[in-house]
Amino acid sequence: MSLKVENVSLVFGDGEEQIKALDQVNMAFAPGELMAVLGPSGAGKSSLLAVCGGLRTPTSGKILIDDVDITQLSEAELTRVRRDHIGFVFQQSNLVPSLNAVDQLLMLVHMRGRKPNAKDREKALQLLDEVGMSHRLKRRPGEMSGGERQRVGIARAFMMSPKLLLVDEPTSMLDHQRGHKIVELLVRACHEHNVATLMVTHDQSILDVADRVVDISDGKLTERVSA
Amino acid sequence: MFIALRDLQFAKGRFFLMGFVVALVSFLVIVLSGLSAGLTKANISGLMELPATHIAFEDTDHLGYRNSMIERYMWEGWESAEGIDALEPMGHAIFNARTEDDKPIEIALWGLVDDSFIEPPVNEGIALGGPDEAGVLITRGLIDEGLKLGDLIVLDRVLTKLRVVGVVDDYRSIGHMPIIYAPLAKWQEASYGPPGGPSPGEKLPDIVFDFVSVIVMQLAEGVDVAALDDEFETLTLDRIGFYEASSGYTDELKSIRMIQLLLFVISAVVTGAFFSIWTIQRTKEIGLVKALGASNAYVLRDALGQAMILILIGIGIGVSGTYFFGNAIRNTELPFMIETGALVTSVVMLLIAGVVGAGLAIKRVASIDPIIALGRDQ
Repeated sequence: MSLKVENVSLVFGDGEEQIKALDQVNMAFAPGELMAVLGPSGAGKSSLLAVCGGLRTPTSGKILIDDVDITQLSEAELTRVRRDHIGFVFQQSNLVPSLNAVDQLLMLVHMRGRKPNAKDREKALQLLDEVGMSHRLKRRPGEMSGGERQRVGIARAFMMSPKLLLVDEPTSMLDHQRGHKIVELLVRACHEHNVATLMVTHDQSILDVADRVVDISDGKLTERVSA
Repeated sequence: MFIALRDLQFAKGRFFLMGFVVALVSFLVIVLSGLSAGLTKANISGLMELPATHIAFEDTDHLGYRNSMIERYMWEGWESAEGIDALEPMGHAIFNARTEDDKPIEIALWGLVDDSFIEPPVNEGIALGGPDEAGVLITRGLIDEGLKLGDLIVLDRVLTKLRVVGVVDDYRSIGHMPIIYAPLAKWQEASYGPPGGPSPGEKLPDIVFDFVSVIVMQLAEGVDVAALDDEFETLTLDRIGFYEASSGYTDELKSIRMIQLLLFVISAVVTGAFFSIWTIQRTKEIGLVKALGASNAYVLRDALGQAMILILIGIGIGVSGTYFFGNAIRNTELPFMIETGALVTSVVMLLIAGVVGAGLAIKRVASIDPIIALGRDQ
């Protein structure tokens, strides 16, 4: 699966109050490729994630996932696209408080309308093992450290074998060392599972592991040639 | 209900408190329903046991058993009409009385013709119409007061003496007073005769025996009740009507129904308020789940299922509590009676009230924007 963003703009407000969160953005990336989008707060990183993930409809332009323009889809269709094709890694605390590590992953199977079976459980355990959480399977988010929560979030993102992974500030709540480990984990998982990955961050230190680096400022993208 | 069940387990304390409130409201509603049934029985059980389709009253502005006075021509007129399957004149009067050991009691004295279709079956002793002209039948309420076969009862003021010759082992009362079934002539003597009855060797004038309170009837289909009422100056009521003619019955029932209605509203408001707060607290979590691909239907089903489980458990505890309460007060004077129909109605109403309250609160999950999963107000 590929992701193409063509001439996408996202505008809030009107008249003099108008804010261009994204301004004629164009980009494309392939399976197994990790693209890091770097920019300060307010540069448009989250807006880019939101439109690519079908959480916001851009004011203009196209978001093509496998040549399907998701900007033309209904809410219900967008929900299906997110469920079936996109994996999200959010900031630290975005786990469901009442679910333990295994259930965080199995929940996605249940959302697809079927009861998790032994195979699903096996896959969940394997993913949690990959992210080094096999010893914390029954822990709920409140009983995990920030790094552990992030690891579970990464395992969850891969549970339904997504074609596109959207990663939001994965290190923002972690110290440098833990943050770097998480990013390394993400890169490895992205390559192993052959998933096109878009990661937004403001953390310069993790960019050496990305396949491509794009800067974002005032909603405009600029690719770093040296990345 | 993948998340709902785990939420219930996770937030045990919160759900326990809420379940307790639902249980308490359920308990109150069902207890009230039991009291309502008990009060109904205490008020009109005598009427409920009458094998009659209609009762004719005197057509006056003050309709009621105590105010009605039916003259002989009226009941004989009805008797001669077409379509009357059974008919008996009946006397009704309220008396203060005293037992042999001078214990005061308040009773409803019903005068019946011997061996009539409205005479209740006797469990102990003999039926009306035996050798003792003052022989009467007492009911369960008076047995509870300590009366028994052979006891003497003296009516206050009129000084009429009654002897217990038969026992009806069943609560039969009207206006919360236990009924004593007396021969019609004895009732007429107590109601219209001189205090203490006729002097020895004398008879009461015939006119005393020309009056009763009401006419109890079994009418065939198609009888022109209105025409006969016009002709004989009566007002004939069907079963619902003759229940409502019992003094205080309608008002009592209205009061209890009003309290029940308020409890249903409270139930809806309480569950609605709880699930409103719960939904607000879960806004971020719901946004996250929707961002991960859960549909509105999935999230709504999950939340409503959770509410249903909580409400059903609460109601279950409330029903069990009522069962134990009912058993605890079984042998007391509290008029309490649980009927299956009323219980099922209360449970269904509570369930509806709870689900409506929770549903109104939960429907806002549909409007939660999954963008909040990104942790920013985009």
